[in-house]
Amino acid sequence: MATRSIWRGVVLAVGAIGLALAVSSIRTTGESSTREARMSDGRPNLNGIWQANNTANWDLLPHAVRPAVSQAGVYGNHPVLAAPVLALGSVGLVPAGAGVVEGDDIPYTAEAAARKKDNGEHWLDRDPEVRCYMPGIPRAMYMPYPFQITQSANKIQMVFAYANASRTIFLDDAPPPPADKWMGHSVGHWEGNTLVVHVTNFNDRTWLSRAGDFHSDALDVVERLTPITPDALRYEVTLTDPNVYMRPWKMSMVLYRQLEENATLMDFRCLEFVEETFLGHLRKNQLVKHWEGDTIVLDVTRRVPEGDKKYER
Amino acid sequence: MRIAIRVLPIAALVGAVTIAMSAQSSKAPRTPWGAPDLQGIWNTNTFLPLERPAKYGTRQRMTDEEHAQELAALQERNKRPGRDSRDVGGKPGVGTEKDVARAYNEFWFGDKPTKLSYRTSMVIDPPDGRVPALTPEAAKRIADKKEFLAALLQGTSGGRPGPISPRRKDPSPDYNLDRINRADGPEDRGGPERCFGNGLPVVMGTGTFGGVMQLVQSPDSVSLYYDIGQGSGFAYVIPISKRPHLPKNVQLYRGDPIGHWEGDELVADVTNFSDETDFHGARQNLHLVMRFKRVDANTLSVQFTADDPTTWTKPWTAVQDLERADEKTTLILEPGCHEGNYGLMGMLINTRAAEKAFREGKGPDPATQDNATGGGDN
Repeated sequence: MATRSIWRGVVLAVGAIGLALAVSSIRTTGESSTREARMSDGRPNLNGIWQANNTANWDLLPHAVRPAVSQAGVYGNHPVLAAPVLALGSVGLVPAGAGVVEGDDIPYTAEAAARKKDNGEHWLDRDPEVRCYMPGIPRAMYMPYPFQITQSANKIQMVFAYANASRTIFLDDAPPPPADKWMGHSVGHWEGNTLVVHVTNFNDRTWLSRAGDFHSDALDVVERLTPITPDALRYEVTLTDPNVYMRPWKMSMVLYRQLEENATLMDFRCLEFVEETFLGHLRKNQLVKHWEGDTIVLDVTRRVPEGDKKYER
Repeated sequence: MRIAIRVLPIAALVGAVTIAMSAQSSKAPRTPWGAPDLQGIWNTNTFLPLERPAKYGTRQRMTDEEHAQELAALQERNKRPGRDSRDVGGKPGVGTEKDVARAYNEFWFGDKPTKLSYRTSMVIDPPDGRVPALTPEAAKRIADKKEFLAALLQGTSGGRPGPISPRRKDPSPDYNLDRINRADGPEDRGGPERCFGNGLPVVMGTGTFGGVMQLVQSPDSVSLYYDIGQGSGFAYVIPISKRPHLPKNVQLYRGDPIGHWEGDELVADVTNFSDETDFHGARQNLHLVMRFKRVDANTLSVQFTADDPTTWTKPWTAVQDLERADEKTTLILEPGCHEGNYGLMGMLINTRAAEKAFREGKGPDPATQDNATGGGDN
């Protein structure tokens, strides 16, 4: 019996080597990923820590650098930094981006377009990201923080550093969603090398960007994740929401694998830090003396540093 | 584009044989890549206390007779309308502040554990099944906090007699995670009310407040999701990695887990906890070794050894057997605690309003009211 087991083991091992040789021949040189490009079931290996490398979270459409919060400057088309981010200088700017939307247009209805514009102008008051709320899908996938994929045969779990948000993608026999969710209900399947995920059952509370892009609870999302190298994924998203958009529209971008040897998913635990922003005025003794009732009054004082004085004679 | 053929070293051949052979030796399910399969939705409907009742001494398991008796007692307890009695200090408590606060609990107590483990306690080491004694340093630290809690309740219906304590102006002696009788700011409201979720290790309760855990694994990582009830839950990734732990100055609420396999057991070594961690009195110095093992098709054994020389006189080990849940009917709920946390804001608004009413002579001094002991275990 023992002899037979060993022989079976050797047969399996030889098979494993054959499979390993077959799949490893896919790998191109010049990449430092230590992972196999494929799982033992032949599917692309998506395991690891990933992050977008674009400015979609700030603004999905093409945009130049601008203040994150602005006020009128000397020229009408050149706003300057406004109080909430004034002291931040360069750190208070929206980084430029070439955009991730196909056709460079989000087909909002007229009413929705007006609301998006208003949202953008009241970004700090309304964006759920500022409150450390779960970001929803697709926004979680392109926030400027990493997420980790744990890929199994019948489920894929994604855990996002931001706000400890997570999602389960059911690959077979998905149970019905218990309720509408911030992160939606994800059901996926493989089409060749592409993981296709259909996400439904959203609430209407999440946004798509800091520019005020939004959706209703009728949002329907189809994501397509396709490896273009073992360490880069083409990420395509089609959004349908008849309450807000006149027709389905699509984003496309690349997600990159973290290849650092010490790469590890560390929580972006914002929860306790936003308490001061939203509950600070309810303290018995205020820590930050900038509240008038429930309004934050920002007195931004910037003293010219000693070293700069020589330039300001 | 150049294509590289990677040559598999002999070690991989040995590894493949080892995997194939160990697959023969165990009936526990395997993943397609040959690892022990720990996946599923795991819950606990089986009642099992953390610490062992003294009557069992060093015995880890009950006899059939003892089990029948304990089960009958559990079922008798289940007939009561809620978890909380309506007595306060042995006297009828109907209409007291505590009674009103506890009314909230009644809503949640529908399901109760109907099964009882043959184990006498989760703690299996030390042999008496009890969490080891605190070090003098920890005993003092915990007593100081208890005294602070008592001082804030002094002179209220739920506290000891006396005037309003001057300690109401003091900061908490530790990073506060308890429900204390004060609401000067969010930090006074305790971990659960701030949606901190649960720290580690998660010893899942049983019945209504029992948790559900979903485990998904890959060759690189094991991803757990703990649904700990009442809109709270959290995701936790254990990387399978040989990297060293993060530098000591990096302190994380749920620590820095690093996993490896020891035979069929997933072992996670967790360090770098923060002072916002509280596990039976251990804070940032907690060192945790968690072990996950598939005992059979329907049972996942979760064992942990907790060590902290600044808190306990010796390390201790506990084990809980989780049961495989029906994935079709066991719903994993999104946490959403912080997103819907109007309660925390309400506590602060209400307290500021009560202070204003007191200043205007329209209500009692909030410092004389008990807003801490109701609805809890204290």
